[in-house]
Amino acid sequence: MIDLELREKELEEIRQVITASIRNRVEKVGLSGAVVALSGGIDSSLVLKLTAEALGKERVLALLMPEMGVTPDRDLQDARNLVAMLGVPHREIPINDAVDWFAQFLPGSPEEGAFRMALANVKPRIRMILNYFFANLDGRLVVGTSNKTELLLGYGTKYGDMAADIYPIGDLYKTQVWQLAEFVGIPTGIVRKAPTAGLWVGQTDEAELGYTYAQIDRVLYALVDLELSIRETAALLGVPVKAVEEIFHRVQTSEHKRKIPTITRISRMCLDKDWRYPVERF
Amino acid sequence: MRTIRVALAQLVAPLGHIRGNLETILEAYDRAEEGGADLVVTPELALLGFGAGDIYFDKVQQNLEALERIRETSRTRRAWIAVGFVEQDAHGFLYNAVALIGNGKIQGIHRKVQLVNYRLFDEKRYFRRGSRFDVFPTPFGRVGFLICEDAWFSEPARILAFRGAELLVVPSASPYDRGKPEIWEDFLRVRVLDNQLPVVFVNMAGIQDGVAYWGGSMAFSARGERIFQAPFLEPHLEVVSVDLGESRLLRRRDIRLREITPALVEDYLRAFREFSGEPHD
Repeated sequence: MIDLELREKELEEIRQVITASIRNRVEKVGLSGAVVALSGGIDSSLVLKLTAEALGKERVLALLMPEMGVTPDRDLQDARNLVAMLGVPHREIPINDAVDWFAQFLPGSPEEGAFRMALANVKPRIRMILNYFFANLDGRLVVGTSNKTELLLGYGTKYGDMAADIYPIGDLYKTQVWQLAEFVGIPTGIVRKAPTAGLWVGQTDEAELGYTYAQIDRVLYALVDLELSIRETAALLGVPVKAVEEIFHRVQTSEHKRKIPTITRISRMCLDKDWRYPVERF
Repeated sequence: MRTIRVALAQLVAPLGHIRGNLETILEAYDRAEEGGADLVVTPELALLGFGAGDIYFDKVQQNLEALERIRETSRTRRAWIAVGFVEQDAHGFLYNAVALIGNGKIQGIHRKVQLVNYRLFDEKRYFRRGSRFDVFPTPFGRVGFLICEDAWFSEPARILAFRGAELLVVPSASPYDRGKPEIWEDFLRVRVLDNQLPVVFVNMAGIQDGVAYWGGSMAFSARGERIFQAPFLEPHLEVVSVDLGESRLLRRRDIRLREITPALVEDYLRAFREFSGEPHD
């Protein structure tokens, strides 16, 4: 029932579909190329590789935007190695000064619980501004790196790392991202290391979420793709109902992160409800 | 052996790009004619693209003008062509349809009957459903159309078999998801095995708005052998010879079709009426 394992044929199909979809958007909109924010983690590494495959490496700009002292050295090193390996043009821009500029407005210490998340969210939003700044400079597409697990959990910063023009891996669960990354030849070191949003020192996703990605993906697959109830999911997977409820709660409360802002309907042609046009059109 | 040479024109149709799509179709028509095709088949809604949303409302007229150009072109072509387009009836209602064009005339139109409205599909917002499955005579054999979802039901293919079709043609725009190509192959082979008829499936290719139309167009002999498959996702044109005589040969010994009795069909109808909550008997 749980079918998260991608077969060889599917991996090849998915690789083709994703690269074609990136190429398609860039060409249809008449852009010069793409920008990918590269953290050195698996999602952005995979997206960078697929974008380079889609457009040719010279049409891609990788932005490495570490926060010195917070971004693990290992991630920065992995990111540098990957751009070298792929031969993708890149820029390295530490975001510390910009973060500090925001920090001065905090009424208390940045370490205080209430302020920690506000400041943490500033970081991906600074990276977002840089993404779009460089995208606008020479007509590039911003390629997002969100995956299905993250989108369902709302485990991303709205208008931060979630701000992008397309989500090429947005219909792949995290554990499937691992499989595809391995398939397309992302270095094993990147595939195997513990995922982190890198918002504060020592953060790992799985510690913050309270479950491993393998556990979360199975629950999400059962709830979303198999459309099972909470009880059915718990029974199928042999996990506590409470755990499933916790994950389901995240899915329900994060719908706003997956939609454009709700428009209050006044006319018969409300733009997010009645009006239905594709983005890629002539 | 009586064969028809069918050109499977697996095309990319950008949404609403009628001028470009017309060019693509005409170019395929030319190449197929050169390749000795009798019948050229384009994907579902090849003129407007599939999943075009409210563009269907806006560009009907342009799409009809483009169809007119194809009809005009067919005057000087030997091959006939089946084109996916949006038809508009006298009441103003729209249909997801296929026009069979040959010798400068629209020889027949099939309107999609089984509109899809589940998952990502929203066809009932735009289209009225067709109501018949007709068989169209051509100089190369009798042809019946199943537009995409029409082929996911057993009845339409059976109706076409009863009406004497010699070839089932399935213009489609099937969105990719995991396992979809395999499901399609299963469905098509079942249609073939049920009716001892060859099937040609022509799918859209390319990406539109994040949806991959996976191509992979296929031809099956009446025996159920897959005699051709086009590449995944990429546009492709292939002229495939399909044996139309095989059905008759097979049906000498495979007599299932003739073993369908009025009693069986009546019972089917009774069961259907009970199932659909209609009053009966």
